[in-house]
Amino acid sequence: MKKVLESLEAIGALAVFSLDVVRDMLTRPFFGEELFRTMWLLVKRCLVPVGLAVAPVGAVISLQGLELFRMFGLDRMLSSLLGTAIFREYSPALASVMVAAQAGSSIAARIGTMRVRGQIDALAVMSVDPMRYVVVPGVIACAVVTPLLNVLTNFLGLFSGWVFAVPLGGVDHGAFMEHLTAQVTPADLWVGLGKCLLFGTSVGLMAGFLGMRVSGGAESVGKAANDTVVATIVMILVVDYIVSYVLLGVGV
Amino acid sequence: MKTFFEFLIFARYAVAAQFSGFPDRRILAQQLYTAGVGSMALLTVLTIFAGLNLSVQSYSTFQRFGGQDFLGMFAGIGGVRELYPVMAAIICGARIGANLAAALANMKISEQVEALEVMSVDPMRHLVAPRLWAVTLALPLLCGYANVVGIAGSYYGAVHQLGLDGGTFVSQLEQFVHFSDLLVGVGKGLIFGWLVALVACFHGYRAAKKEGAEGVGIATNRAIVHGAVLCIVLNLVLSWLMYG
Repeated sequence: MKKVLESLEAIGALAVFSLDVVRDMLTRPFFGEELFRTMWLLVKRCLVPVGLAVAPVGAVISLQGLELFRMFGLDRMLSSLLGTAIFREYSPALASVMVAAQAGSSIAARIGTMRVRGQIDALAVMSVDPMRYVVVPGVIACAVVTPLLNVLTNFLGLFSGWVFAVPLGGVDHGAFMEHLTAQVTPADLWVGLGKCLLFGTSVGLMAGFLGMRVSGGAESVGKAANDTVVATIVMILVVDYIVSYVLLGVGV
Repeated sequence: MKTFFEFLIFARYAVAAQFSGFPDRRILAQQLYTAGVGSMALLTVLTIFAGLNLSVQSYSTFQRFGGQDFLGMFAGIGGVRELYPVMAAIICGARIGANLAAALANMKISEQVEALEVMSVDPMRHLVAPRLWAVTLALPLLCGYANVVGIAGSYYGAVHQLGLDGGTFVSQLEQFVHFSDLLVGVGKGLIFGWLVALVACFHGYRAAKKEGAEGVGIATNRAIVHGAVLCIVLNLVLSWLMYG
């Protein structure tokens, strides 16, 4: 019973926190310099892990899909499976998971460390709102950077899929490109980008929320970083499924 | 680059400690419990949704050439060979690995590891070896469990949400998913578990006292990211070797 109440309290606190963040985002003062610094840091930190995580997925889809499609002599159709799977599902989901793992946990750990050392209180004493100075840049940076990284990983995933299908798998290059351009629509791309925006925002919110809730010592900093990743991965997979199901129903 | 060589040196000592006799039973049991049973709830939720999504998402692609009935084969092979082992490894990295790294880093910065050394207890054998064994043993089991839950999710998605025939789905599974596929998936789980545990212990062990609370955060972060990236890349290499 106590656990249920605690988790309900956490959900309520998260809702209030999100509303606070939205309000602080829209009203002055803004800390633009801090925002760009955070964004640049995120791009630098996430580029390599996100790229390395998504690129093999396209290759694996080609590798396994080719074997299955070949049973029906449909190996020319492979690119339509690859394109939709990468654009719609795996690139947005994996890029967001890696942003959560890399950026989310480090934002949570950073805010948590500031909290443990009393730097958050010091900011408040200097009448700099810690929400505006520390949390809001993190949320906006995650929301902007995740879709940007997704554009890159789309190409990486597609390219590695192409490498495993055309030069290594023996599919005809023209057929591969034709099915890709015929079956993959701009809607697939937009769905992926929309998902990334949603997931990125929630990574930033969760990191800020759990970081600000840290109390105690070093151990709780590690716990906040960890909880951020776990909570966002659950959220990403659940929302991903709901979005696919709704889109299938709507027929997009 | 320097970190990589440090990792190799650490791995050498850690593996030597891992195979230098039976680890402390009490710590092993406790670690197995936290790593294995502690991850089951999370893994259940995640694989159910991953399995559902595998059905729902690939449906439209197969529909284009009227191949909906082959969804069972696709969900079975794709899931058992690739998706569930990698999912289990990422969850393992995000939860178990991060916990290991945080715990070890915390011991390191509060000088508990040095205290063990002073008492002439080898921290590698006392701390690292049981944890390595626990995760290496737990992950293949979790992987097998994820297969069951994930396929159940795919079945529910295909039959109850997309309206495909249940019998066709099951017969597709029986016909195309071989025992060797299961073995490959679980074997991948074994390798990933060992790798994630090794990476997590390395990053936890590397935390220095002067870094303080920040060191714990850094160790956790690196354990998650390096573990996940290594597993995904290794998965491609293994699949390529086996099916390429």
